[in-house]
Amino acid sequence: MATFEAEALPHLDAVYRFALSLTGDPTRAEDLTQESMFKAHRAWHQYRPGTNARAWLFTIVRNTFINQYRREQREAGNVDIDAIESFSVFRDVQEADPEGRFFDQIVDDEVIQAINRLPAEFREVVMLSDVEELSYAEIADLIGVPVGTVKSRLFRARQALQRELYRYAVEMGYIKPGVR
Amino acid sequence: MSTAGGRLTCAECAEQLYEYLDQELSPELERAIAAHLEECANCLGRFTFERAFLAVVARRGGSAAIPAQLRDRILRSIRGQAAPERG
Repeated sequence: MATFEAEALPHLDAVYRFALSLTGDPTRAEDLTQESMFKAHRAWHQYRPGTNARAWLFTIVRNTFINQYRREQREAGNVDIDAIESFSVFRDVQEADPEGRFFDQIVDDEVIQAINRLPAEFREVVMLSDVEELSYAEIADLIGVPVGTVKSRLFRARQALQRELYRYAVEMGYIKPGVR
Repeated sequence: MSTAGGRLTCAECAEQLYEYLDQELSPELERAIAAHLEECANCLGRFTFERAFLAVVARRGGSAAIPAQLRDRILRSIRGQAAPERG
């Protein structure tokens, strides 16, 4: 018997992180987390045992967010993500640091902030895939787009994030800027 | 340039890079890429770099935890009643 306590509660940190990435604001993330968990608890009989409980919770978080906060969506959400260039940083660092060791010098907070600076559509797929380890199919299902869209969005989101982290590492002197 | 013979070009390999690292490819394609990486130092370098990037995002990005007070509040409420905050 899958209990809420055993199946859902272990994902509290993940639910909060996802709420934070959606709202971009700790106070609202707290409200969204609490409301979503209470909702999930009331709807627990609808959860199908054996499926991904984390993905099920994220669906509730996301729907709650969309219902309540859509009108106040962060400005970043309105960026035209198709206009954002994507190219790998690899060519820039191929000589100086081909294994990407500079990434390891970047502290937690800087990575989180860089993720938060991404446009909403990018932020969402990076969180769901790279941080919370959902599959492409699970993400597609959760955000209501085809798997192909998840792939291309994830690709561009990662390249954008990589470029942000690289820029920061250059600023901090972790790596010398490469010449193209 | 064709994949028909099972050999992938560098460009084809780069296109599947993340799907390969995310283990989202069919076993057949996965093998084709692994074979290409064994022979192509350039692509192997790029893949190694991207893997390092993804590892850092996963590790650092997942470091945020729910505030302790909020956790307590939720746990208390859910454990305390069968259907919390109705209405």
